Amino acid sequence: MSDNPFPLSRDDLLTAYRTMRTIREFEERLHTDFARGDIPGFVHLYAGEEASAVGIMAHLNDNDRIASTHRGHGHCIAKGVDVKAMMGEIYGKSTGSCRGKGGSMHIADIDKGMMGANGILGAGAPLACGAGLAAKYRGDGGVGISFVGDGASNQGMFLESLNLAAVWNLPVIFVVENNGYAESTSVDWAVACDSYVDRAAGFGLPGVTVDGTDFFAVYEAAGEIISRAREGGGPSMLECKMHRLFGHFEGDAQTYRAEGEVENLRANRDCLTQFADRVTEAGVITRAELNAIDGEVAKLIEQAVTEAIAAPLPTQTDLTTDVYVSY
Amino acid sequence: MKSEASTVGIIANPVSARDIRRVVANATSLQITDRANIVLRVLAALKACGVERVLIMPEAGGIRGHVERGLMRATHRRDALFPDIEYVSMPITGTVTDSQTAARRMAEAGVAAIVVLGGDGTHRAVVAECGQTPIAGISTGTNNAFPEHREPTITGLAAGLMATGRVPRSVATQANKRLEVSINGDQHDIALVDIALVSERYIGARALWRPDNFRELYVTFADPEVIGMSAIAGLLCPVSRREPGGMYLRLEHAATATQTVQAPIAPGMIIPVGVKAWEPMRANHPIKPQPRAGSIALDGERELSFSEQDEVTITLVENAFQTVDVSACMQFAARHGLQVGDGTERAIKHQALE
Repeated sequence: MSDNPFPLSRDDLLTAYRTMRTIREFEERLHTDFARGDIPGFVHLYAGEEASAVGIMAHLNDNDRIASTHRGHGHCIAKGVDVKAMMGEIYGKSTGSCRGKGGSMHIADIDKGMMGANGILGAGAPLACGAGLAAKYRGDGGVGISFVGDGASNQGMFLESLNLAAVWNLPVIFVVENNGYAESTSVDWAVACDSYVDRAAGFGLPGVTVDGTDFFAVYEAAGEIISRAREGGGPSMLECKMHRLFGHFEGDAQTYRAEGEVENLRANRDCLTQFADRVTEAGVITRAELNAIDGEVAKLIEQAVTEAIAAPLPTQTDLTTDVYVSY
Repeated sequence: MKSEASTVGIIANPVSARDIRRVVANATSLQITDRANIVLRVLAALKACGVERVLIMPEAGGIRGHVERGLMRATHRRDALFPDIEYVSMPITGTVTDSQTAARRMAEAGVAAIVVLGGDGTHRAVVAECGQTPIAGISTGTNNAFPEHREPTITGLAAGLMATGRVPRSVATQANKRLEVSINGDQHDIALVDIALVSERYIGARALWRPDNFRELYVTFADPEVIGMSAIAGLLCPVSRREPGGMYLRLEHAATATQTVQAPIAPGMIIPVGVKAWEPMRANHPIKPQPRAGSIALDGERELSFSEQDEVTITLVENAFQTVDVSACMQFAARHGLQVGDGTERAIKHQALE
């Protein structure tokens, strides 16, 4: 029997953990700093959903493009966007990914294949189709991935994109991050067709549902689906069932959630804990190695915040720069 | 308490047939509306046999809404097409626990039979909790080695004929084998068809489709006509559901094996599996697997993982649970003219509700 019974090398397992921990630390820190009133605009935190972004992005390279959502920090970090530049962006500083003019919901880094978080629900799906069409024309094996929440999956744009991707057989993957709530509305009340696999089937796409809190479940399923798209097999849908540990937005009183719901999720359904337990129990990675990563990540986020606070705001003359971008 | 002797239970899993085999093996994904229609067909068959009350597992996966539309339409048309429906009073978790809880409650209520809609996994969940209450299986999963492939209306008729006593239970049911897996002395879980030990130590996407990782296989029955892990044994050394004993196989990489089996381990996926050795498995004789660590797949899905510290045993048990023998019920019905009338009966469909 192999010493490493996982589908990733030891180094890749450590990288996956580091990325998930970075997302968690980033979001936990924003949760605190936003409550203090340090951050302009709105933030929607991805904590609890890390296994989805990291399990999927582990199969991608900079040539592959993703279109994210309003809850986009995790996607950005997993796609390789610089964490300090992201923090600068969220603080609205000129050192930010978009020079402080985009904020949390518009972080983009085209060089990394990150086409942007998106404040318009469902608007990422047609962008991913565009990326898929470009990859298909170029024949470079690239894929476009659209992330969407359960709420935005009801938007016309999303449904039109399923149709477009299917009729043009585009290398596009539609990832539905189903965290159970469209803002405060339960998915049970708001999504007709009940099953995303059924919804995909309605457009002739295969659909797969996985436990989005299990990194290995997402990783395995995403690997197969992404390979299928790269090999000309066309679009697919992946539903990741998951939970968010914070509100829809920071400041959300979450009166729609059951008493003890979040505490129970933190205790029993935390994707980071599940990952750490699996790799340490198998003897592939030690707790000490994971703890060391936790320490390094905490330091990185602390530095990112310190530098973001110290960085200058954009000036009035920056107002008219970067308005149009040539790709 | 009202007698439940002629009450039938229905457990319909809304989330079976949703895994990665849709992509790796082009497996079917039966839609929610199809599942609801199957429930309605079964209800109509039960009513036609005289079953007046049905207990149904509640779920939030969408089946209930479609079923209720069907029932409402029948009421508006004044058709007495369906029996009275009651949902089991239980919390809905959206997990396998729901099938287990519903099965336990139905068995406690003394239902005559439980009709199950799902794949091998759903049937396993029900069997774990239903005791000796007979189950009538309908395939709506991915690998359906356990439930027979058959029009659900007929399964509903058989269950109804048995529930109302028109086919005696001695004719209508048959006993089945199952496998039990214990870890460190505690009985951990069961399997109805097969247990596979694989080298992956994570549950992941659950399904099995990488034969290089297969290590051992235990089967209650080995049928060359079924799909899934059991097919490996079925194509090598068939054992029927009814005969005593099962099979135990040690598997290895096909590339280096001296014997391989081209087996349909998933829909549309026929691949060579290396077989090192195989031997009959006797009932009530626990076997200790040779691999010291890995995952345990129950009826084709990775469910448990174990390490060098764990003591795993696998045991075959006979006469473990009861199923409705649909074929025997319908043959009995034909022989005894149970569905034959003198022309004075009217189709239930046309009896107006008073």
